[in-house]
Amino acid sequence: MAAPLDTDVAIETPEHIVFHYRLAGPARRALAYLVDLVVCYGVVLVIALVVVLAFMGDRTTKDLGTAAKAGGGVVLLALFAAQWIYFVVLEARTGRSVGKRVMGVRVVTTTGRPIGWRSAALRNLLRAADALPTGYLVGLASMAITSRFQRVGDLVAGTMVVVPESARVATPIELSPPAKPKELATLPEDVALDADEREAIELFLRRRLTLGRAREHELASMIAGPIGERLGFVHPDPARLLAIVYDRAVNVGRGEAPPSSYRARTARKPKEEQPWR
Amino acid sequence: MALASTLTERAFAERRQKSWDELDSLSRKSTQQGLRALAADEVSDLPSLYRDVCADLAAAQAARYSAPLVDYLRGLTATAHGILYGPHAARDRDGSVAVRRTWLVAFPRAVRKRWRAMLLATGLFFIPLAIGLVLTLHDPSFAFRVAPEAMLRPLADAYARGFDEGRDAGEGTMMAGFYVYNNVGIALRCFALGIFGGLGSAFYLVQNGLTIGAILGYVATQGAGANIGTFIIGHGSLELGAIVLSGGAGLSLGWSIVAPGEQTRLASLQSTARDILVIVAGAAVMLVMAAGIEAFWSASSTPRPIKLTVGGSLFLLVVAYVLVAGREGPAAAPAEAQR
Repeated sequence: MAAPLDTDVAIETPEHIVFHYRLAGPARRALAYLVDLVVCYGVVLVIALVVVLAFMGDRTTKDLGTAAKAGGGVVLLALFAAQWIYFVVLEARTGRSVGKRVMGVRVVTTTGRPIGWRSAALRNLLRAADALPTGYLVGLASMAITSRFQRVGDLVAGTMVVVPESARVATPIELSPPAKPKELATLPEDVALDADEREAIELFLRRRLTLGRAREHELASMIAGPIGERLGFVHPDPARLLAIVYDRAVNVGRGEAPPSSYRARTARKPKEEQPWR
Repeated sequence: MALASTLTERAFAERRQKSWDELDSLSRKSTQQGLRALAADEVSDLPSLYRDVCADLAAAQAARYSAPLVDYLRGLTATAHGILYGPHAARDRDGSVAVRRTWLVAFPRAVRKRWRAMLLATGLFFIPLAIGLVLTLHDPSFAFRVAPEAMLRPLADAYARGFDEGRDAGEGTMMAGFYVYNNVGIALRCFALGIFGGLGSAFYLVQNGLTIGAILGYVATQGAGANIGTFIIGHGSLELGAIVLSGGAGLSLGWSIVAPGEQTRLASLQSTARDILVIVAGAAVMLVMAAGIEAFWSASSTPRPIKLTVGGSLFLLVVAYVLVAGREGPAAAPAEAQR
């Protein structure tokens, strides 16, 4: 497998399973922040409008009415909540503010766990430092020099912002139309591909429909030649050759189950490792 | 036969899909409606489903199944991991006990533990305040160098009028909102900017001290010194105390980077920050209380002797609270107990 991109961060669970989180970069986070600004100040603005419309009717005296003044106090409290409370509460309770939800990112600790109240409070208090001197320049500089895109608040709270993989079921690659016996005449029963070849062919097959016919042919020829030669398999269409080889390597000749659950693991010893390498 | 030991990807997915779907629906339910929305048997299913998907992920990676399947399993694992290993532990404790413990024990103890920083913050605030006061009393135009004249003149006039009219409830609410927005904001910023080696906090302390001193001095030279004193004594102990505490917390934060001791700078910063967060929270609560007093009591038409008595007792109470509260009781372990 290729080395993971450096915008990935590996999380090891207590079960000794390692999974990767993709880190959210400055652009995505800035957009999330803009959405949050619009939400927060939108709400403050609505409250202010309500106060103005409801209480400015009584402009008979020069002084503001009692209710209007009290409304002004409420607007200021809302402004305070927008600046200091909004992020803390939402991130502590759900791990994401509205903007982060929209942009599909989430705050987790550097060990990959959800953040609590303390981390949420610290990372958002330190916003005041990150926003200096203007436009979050301190935060941007900090993100540029840390390995996990952490702004100062993230460093202090021990948090990072990640893009969680959305859990959707993947459709397996189908060979269509199904291979005709004539095509398979020279294909060996046992097709061994190493991990890199498999990954390359898979990526190609998933992308081929978005490519032009000529480009598809050109890409496929680069790898179809050597693979066909090694297997002694000939086919006039290199893309079709790769599809058939991939189909056989993935779907044929694998009768038994891997240890697919934690109960099964005790029942069956794993066989020899990666015999095709 | 080389590959006979493993299942085809499709057969593997078919065999395990039911359990993945189950875990997925549990995860979704718990993320959307909270962990408490799960039924008892669903809660007890979650860990074993999670361990199964962990094993499936390992198997899928070892068998080199296609990237989308592995990504899908990673997503399932990550989501369930986030639910199972969440910061839930603290919520089970008795809420009222935790609140009492925080305010009667943890907060004053945290302040005393950082007494050097607090002392420094007190100096950085009150010495400029005294300087500002003395210089302005000597030459009132000094006040215009630290605060705009357009703000100072109406202020002095307002204090000269006294408090016979009091404040109506509407104006009180508006001023309370303003005090919360402005003062708590200043205190939080004063803490946060301590991250730059404490310099930001020091700047805020000195600047606020100097300004307040100059205002006091200017109003006094305009002949309303007794009035502004009466005004300030009610909430001053809470308000000025809270600014000093949050500044001291900021200085501690900065110092933890400058002198990390035996830890790395980052580790020192992180543990100090968690430790002193309670001071910042306490300062914020003090300021909210001060805002209420300042808006509804300090400017009210209550006679001066009563205001002075109440303000003086409050001052003693605040000092006693910070110096004495939480000295007995169980040994200090609140920092670990509450995550």
